[in-house]
Formats: sequence, structure tokens, C-alpha cells
Amino acid sequence: MSSAPPPLVSLRALTKRYGATLAVDGASLAVAPGEIVGLLGQNGAGKTTLLECLLGLRAADSGEITLAGLDLRSQPREALRVVGAQLQPSALQDKITPREALRFHAALYGVAADVAALLARFGLVEKADARFDTLSTGQRQRLALALALVHRPTLLVLDEPTTGLDPQTRRALHQILRDHRTAGGGVLLSTHDLDEAERLCDRVAILHRGRIVADAAPAALLIRASAGTRLRCRTAQPQSFPDFQSSADGLAHAAVAQEAARAIAALTRAVQEAGNTLVELQLSPPTLEDAFVALTGDAWDDKPEAAP
Amino acid sequence: MSASARFGDALLRQAWLSLRLNFRAPMPVVYGYLLPVVFLFGFGGIFRAGNPPLLAEMGQLLTITILGSAALGLPTALVAERERGVWRRYRLLPVAPAALVGGVVLARFAIVAGAVALQLVLAHLVFGTPWPSQPLVFLVAALAATFAFLGLGLVIAALADGVPVVQALGQCLFLPMILLGGVGVPLAVLPIWAQRLAGFMPGRYAVAALQSGFTEMRDPVGLGYAFAALLVVGAAAAAIGLLLFRWDSAFRAGPRQRLGALLALAAWVAVGLGAAGTGRLRPLLPPGYAWQEITDAQIATITYENLPGDNELVTRLAPPLVQPFASTRLESVAARLAVWAPAQTENSGENIRHLVALAALADLAQDPQEGEIARLVYDRLRAVHPADELRRGLAWIILCPDDGTVVTSASAFGLRREIDENAVRNRAPLYAQKFLARELGRIREP
Repeated sequence: MSSAPPPLVSLRALTKRYGATLAVDGASLAVAPGEIVGLLGQNGAGKTTLLECLLGLRAADSGEITLAGLDLRSQPREALRVVGAQLQPSALQDKITPREALRFHAALYGVAADVAALLARFGLVEKADARFDTLSTGQRQRLALALALVHRPTLLVLDEPTTGLDPQTRRALHQILRDHRTAGGGVLLSTHDLDEAERLCDRVAILHRGRIVADAAPAALLIRASAGTRLRCRTAQPQSFPDFQSSADGLAHAAVAQEAARAIAALTRAVQEAGNTLVELQLSPPTLEDAFVALTGDAWDDKPEAAP
Repeated sequence: MSASARFGDALLRQAWLSLRLNFRAPMPVVYGYLLPVVFLFGFGGIFRAGNPPLLAEMGQLLTITILGSAALGLPTALVAERERGVWRRYRLLPVAPAALVGGVVLARFAIVAGAVALQLVLAHLVFGTPWPSQPLVFLVAALAATFAFLGLGLVIAALADGVPVVQALGQCLFLPMILLGGVGVPLAVLPIWAQRLAGFMPGRYAVAALQSGFTEMRDPVGLGYAFAALLVVGAAAAAIGLLLFRWDSAFRAGPRQRLGALLALAAWVAVGLGAAGTGRLRPLLPPGYAWQEITDAQIATITYENLPGDNELVTRLAPPLVQPFASTRLESVAARLAVWAPAQTENSGENIRHLVALAALADLAQDPQEGEIARLVYDRLRAVHPADELRRGLAWIILCPDDGTVVTSASAFGLRREIDENAVRNRAPLYAQKFLARELGRIREP
């Protein structure tokens, strides 16, 4: 009888302080093989610190970290062998070429990497011998990902990997991550892109002020947050409605409704009774942003997180 | 592959990569190779009158090259890569950190070696400077100096939060050593206080060690101390630099790094105190010390490793002269020495001091026969003073350079120009050392 493989990431009660600031507060998280987990949070929520602790770049004050069953503290080199990481900043030396960088990293991991295949897979064949300082942002990001995969790791840890990428490159990168998942690997990525988290991730962990306030599949998060349907409407004459927020001129109105049909019926009835006319009505399904707002009580700030 | 084989493999791969990348960027090539060549031609322009040209300055010239490339070039490269996140990425590799840092250091060794070789070849081809007469001593000296300055480079890399800070810290090391440490300005022409201060700076020992590879004037005891000083300074700095190495620019330099830098500087102080304690930093005796009371033990503390050669720009000394002299002026100088009033007082110590000052005067006045005059002075000293008296008198000049009186002109010898007293007091001890070294058999006449 074969036992289940250990989780690729297991964080338990991780805490990290910077002086009086509690950057990560008892965070627990797991990533299983064949799973993409997104780490979602505002600026300063602690995402980068959490990833850095996970990779041993910063020493956690307390908590346990195991990677593929290997304790990071007692077996750091063995544990890091299973990880391919892409961090911010992820620059290389100005004058190194993608081919050299891949060969160098592969050699230091002690693996015989198929550098040509990696270059082809990441669309870098034409730039294989170009100096790093001549590469575009997208090419640099793809090279960073190729370097993370050069030793065929089972776990990928990526810090905002799609920041600054064009839509085409972003889609290609998503496909690479899905392929990695299909091959049984795991991915832990921090992201600021709610749409990316919703479409790509099997699970999303919301990090708020150092604490993981929710950790579930995107759909489950919406249910758990009781995020309702967004209703927006305009009326011909100024009017106010209970449960709706209205604009100053009384013509535009918005609400979040748990039962959209009932709310629309009440709205149309109120408009008819007032002799008014409904000139526009929009319904939007609940999003992760709504879930985030509901779970944290904070508005979503879509600026990328700055390095600490 | 065993752990040690993996370590060696990573170290060599890192060294090879660093070396290749170094030659692809223009600035490292400019600072590592072009600037030393500019220095070479600068020195060549100033000292080409030397015989042979530049021979006496090669120790200084090569120290500047090694200091610049090792103590400035290494931390600049390391900190620039750290700022870009390169070392943060390296930290995730399953490789011992020392292999990666060691690889960069090894590459820098090769870069320094290239710059030194380039200067040797150009000096030889352009100025006719001889190759090192003691190749093995020169090789060991170059390695020791590079080791010492690379160690300091690692400390700077640990301490600096950015490349501009590297430049600032590097200049804090570079400029004092160039100006006061006997690296840019020859030790022999520095004031006494600066000569003492130079004993606390590794640059002085690098110059002495490297120069000993070129010139026949060697003092094995002093040379050994120079090598030991470089190794102590280098080992302390390298250990501290590696211990405090920072992978990530997000971690700013803190009290640990500052304490480490102070410990690295403590090695300089230890070396300086060691030199002072073993009589390598003169003067040792308090002002007013009677020359008759100077003991053999005090004389034994005097070292000779930094003396210029007899054919060099300063303190020339002609080989023993054969009578009759080739020039009538020398006949006249020899005759006048026998009756020169400042050397006829009742105080033998003062007489010795005045005669030695006369040699210094001729040297400072750039008399065409300065070397021959110095030789006649030495012959006169030997002729009229018993050996024991002469040794104490010479040691008094070396150990108490500010005591007694000195002559600042000697028109009877055709030296009419008044020379600054401080200049005479700085120069006279060098001649006293040359004479004393001969009296003690530390230098044998050809």
C-alpha cells in the first residue's frame, strides 16, 4: 500500500517580525502536488516576506516550514532542490546571455538540462546569445521562469510572475504553469491580479495584515464571503431606494444583492410606483475583489506590491 | 560527485563566468586595465630618469594596481550584482556560499594578475624596466598583497549598501594609503609622523614586499614582517568579509557589519603596533636621548627593508672610490671633509650627525656627484670614528631624527643652496641607515 506524497509546501504557524511590525502572523498554508495556489494580498500584506521565509531567504521567528517533506531549517539544501523560484527583483548580470545563465544554473544543480529545449519552450531561441541588458521585460520574465524550471523542480514559487507582461506572454506563462500542474508539480504564486488568481489558481489564500484570513477555491471563497451580485441602474428622474446607494443627483444607483431576482423585482416595483422610468440596469456576478472586500473589510488596491 | 568535488566545480564555474562577464563590460576593463596603464605612463613620465627606469617605483606602481582592482573592483562588482538580485538568486542554489563568493574572488585574482603582468611587460618594453630579479619573491609578494586587498574588498562589500558607498569607502582606504602610506608618495620622502602612520597601513608592506622582488636590497627579517603583515590583514579581512557577506540588498548594513569593519581595521592596528614594538617604526627614543646611551638592543631594532637602492632617485651612494679620484672636485671634497668645522666639535655624536646631513644636503640639492659625496662622507666617518661610536652615532640619527643640530647648507662643498631643515632631518636618517647597515654587515659592499 503506497502512502500519499507529502505536500510540496507545508507552512505551520509562521511568524516573522520586523522590529515592532508583525509582517507574518501565524500563517499556515499547504500546496499539494498538482495544485496551483495563489497568495493574494494588498501592498504590505506580507506576501513577499512569507515567500522569502518559505525559501529560507529570511529567517522566520517561529513556525515550521517543510518542502516536499524536508524540513527547511535542518535540511536547507535538500529542501531547496525541489524548488524552482522566481523572485522580485529577478535580474541577472547585464552581460550574461540566456544560454549561459541556463547552463550555469543547470551545472550548479548538477543536472544535464536540455538548454535548447528550454529556450524553445520559453520563446527565447532568437535571444539565446543576446546579453541580458538587451532583453525586454517579457523576455527577462520568461528567462527567470526558465531558470526556475532548469532543474525540473516539483514546486514552483513565483513572486508576481506576470507583472509587466503583455497579455500574450501572460497567457503563455499561464499555460506553462498549467502544464506544470498537469505533470504533477505544484505552484505557489503571489499575485496582484484578481482575474489571474480566479482563472488560474485552484486555491487562493488571502493574506491580510500578515494573517491568512481565507484559504479556499475561488468559487468557495465567493460563497464563504457571501459576495452577492452587483446591481447598477439609472433612472429618468431622481429617486432613492432602500438598500441602494444613490449618486448626488439621484439618478445613478448601486447595490450588492444576495438574491438578485428579488432585488430587481423590488426595484422595478418602486420605480413604477413613483412614476419613474428605469433607463439602464446592469448585473455583475460576484468577483474575488468582492470576496476580498467582504473578508477583509478593506478596499482592493490594485497597485503591485513594492519590495520591502 | 563528492561534496568537495561539487564545491570545486561550483567555484571554478563561478570564477570562469565572472571572468568572462568582466571582459564584456567596458567599465571593469577601463578600471582594471586601462587605468593601471595610465598610471604606468604617469610614473614612467616622472621617474624615467631612474637607472634603470622605474625600477625603484615598481613596488609602488603595482601596489596601486592591486589595491584598485582588489579593494575597489571586487566590492563594486559584488555590490552591483547584489543590488540587481543576482546573489539573492544564488542563495537558492544548492551550493556552499563560499564556493560562489570564492569563485568571484578567484576571478578577481586572475584579473589582478593580468593587470600586473600587463604593467610588467609594458614597463619592460616601453621604459626598459628590468624583470623582477627575484621572481619567486615577487610572485609570493603579489599573491600576498592581492590576498590582503581582496580581503579588504570583501569587508567593503559587506559594509556598503550600494555602489556609491563602495566608491566612498574605497576612497577612504585608497587615498590615505596613496598619500600617507608610502604607496603613491615614497616612504623615504614622507615626514616622520607619516612614516610612523604608514606602519599601520597594509599599503606600506605591499610596496616593501613587491619592491623586494626587483631590487637587490633586501632585509630578510623586515621582508618577513611585510609578508606576515599582509597575511594577517588579509586573513582577518577575508574571514570577516565572508562571515558578514550579504546576499540581499534588502538587508542593510547594521551594527554587525560596522563592528566587523572595526575588527578588520583592528588587524591594521595590530600590525602597526607589532611593527612599532619590534622597532620597525622609527623613531623610538624620546627627544633628548643621549647618543652614548643607545644600546646594542636598540640598534638591533632598526630595520632596513624600505631603503631605496644605491642607484635610485633618492639617497644615492656610489660604490667604494679608488684613489686617486677621477675628478678634482672629489679630491677637494675629501680634503675639505678633513677640516670641515661642523665635524670638528667636541661632541662625536653631533659630528656624525653633521657629516651625514652633508650627504643628505648633496642629495637634496641634486648635486651631480651626490653619490660620490655620500661615499666620501661614509669613508670619513669610518676613518675618524671608532666602530662602536659610529654605530651609536648613526643609530642616534635614525632613532632620534629631531635631536641635535643639522646643517642646512655647505658652501665649502659647492652646496650653496639653503635646504629646509625638515627635509634634511627626513633624508639624513636614510643615509644613516645605509651606513649602519654596512657597519653591521647587513649590506655587503660589492
